[in-house]
Amino acid sequence: MSYDIKRSVSLYSYQEAFFTGKLDLEGCIRESAKAGATGIELLAEQMVDEFPVITPEFKEKWFGWMEKYNTAPSCMDAFLENHIFDNRTCTLREQIANMERDIRIAHELGFKVLRTLVSTPMPVIEGSLKIAEDYDVKIGLEVHSPFSLNSGWSDGYMEMILRTGTKYFGFIPDFGIFCKQIPTKLTNQALKNGAHPECVKLVQDAFQERIAKGLVKIKYDTNLGAANYAYRVANGQMKLMEQIEKMGGNEADKAYAGASFNYTWNDPQDIIDNIQYIFHTHAKCYNINEQYEETCIPMQEVIDAYKKAGYVGYLSTEWEGGEMVDDASELCIEQVRRHQECMRRCIESELK
Amino acid sequence: MLETHMLNPDGYQNVVEDGKTVGFSFEMRIPYYRGITLSILRDIKVTVDGKEYPRDALTVTVNDETFTLEEMRTVIHNRWLFGQFGTVTVHTEGGLAEGDHDLSVTVVVAPSYMPFQLVKSVSSKFAI
Repeated sequence: MSYDIKRSVSLYSYQEAFFTGKLDLEGCIRESAKAGATGIELLAEQMVDEFPVITPEFKEKWFGWMEKYNTAPSCMDAFLENHIFDNRTCTLREQIANMERDIRIAHELGFKVLRTLVSTPMPVIEGSLKIAEDYDVKIGLEVHSPFSLNSGWSDGYMEMILRTGTKYFGFIPDFGIFCKQIPTKLTNQALKNGAHPECVKLVQDAFQERIAKGLVKIKYDTNLGAANYAYRVANGQMKLMEQIEKMGGNEADKAYAGASFNYTWNDPQDIIDNIQYIFHTHAKCYNINEQYEETCIPMQEVIDAYKKAGYVGYLSTEWEGGEMVDDASELCIEQVRRHQECMRRCIESELK
Repeated sequence: MLETHMLNPDGYQNVVEDGKTVGFSFEMRIPYYRGITLSILRDIKVTVDGKEYPRDALTVTVNDETFTLEEMRTVIHNRWLFGQFGTVTVHTEGGLAEGDHDLSVTVVVAPSYMPFQLVKSVSSKFAI
């Protein structure tokens, strides 16, 4: 099967460099291009000062940078702020208007894909499909761990896709669903915060046990908190917490145990099974070593699934190791560079 | 992590109006990864040298507009940009004495997609 896998960087990866003023938006694009990416994923709310207004001056600069660095817009990440006031949830009409605003901004900046979060209510998505079609921007629902493809949760959206026949909605898998280890930096942070080595080992063993046994996948529920809670119960979080309690575990131990359920291992076959609904991907990463390996995600195995599936689209580096270290404003640039090289090797290697 | 860079080390001062010291102020960024409307910045708590100041003693100045925390609840057209320093003013007669102090700030942000509010605290020593 032929495939066309391109590399992108989500500028989310550079957040700390931008936050501290080390890189401005152009600097982030320049670093992405230097690392070998041809796609740029943007969180407009993060790096566009005039947001939600897109001025002609900004558009000119934006497309100028795309040309200068030989890059193209890959995906814009939206955040449906449906609790913008503290005393009520926005009405359906207000939420769809918010989606329309973001779809229009994506269109103006040349994006063909808009990432929406798992918290976007189904009626808001359905109510935005026509707008997406009019602007030719596809709405991609992020499949962020502990959410999964081939699950009760994703079935809820498949039902909508099949019922409406839409070509403007699909999934954006996030590689946090392909973790074979708990990110090393999370473990280091837990130990630094006073977690006991024996509790850490217990949590890691439980993580490996979940991988070996297979995940109990999350169900569809309009109450996401309830779905998440049920997922955690079904996968043994309460039992693990009891064991930690018995071992005299402290807050750091419990926080580590709880956080370990944010990372999951799913069979990469899920990508192949759902490929016709996948048009963008968050290549989440936490730690890439000097040998260009992601230390908890088996990149070759995952990318091989994308090849077998015949994927056409971007794999977009989304580095998320920054919140686990004191200062990531330099580290983020090097980590993205390594991850792009890691992906290049995996993409270019021959499929066995 | 963003908290490392949250407080501006050069941003501390007493606030003087008409020759009278009416409070003190400091500059901070929001340690969350995107710009936010002030309406989802649900709380700021300021403690100096062990003394916590009442919520209604605080005002926030961002993009040349100043609001109390109560007023911020309805502010959806002023965005505190990602990485931007804003000013928190604590209105307290006489401000702070010259010399060294300990500051602790807690920020509560409520991104709509999160099932819980984000609570971030940092502490720092500073001098007036």
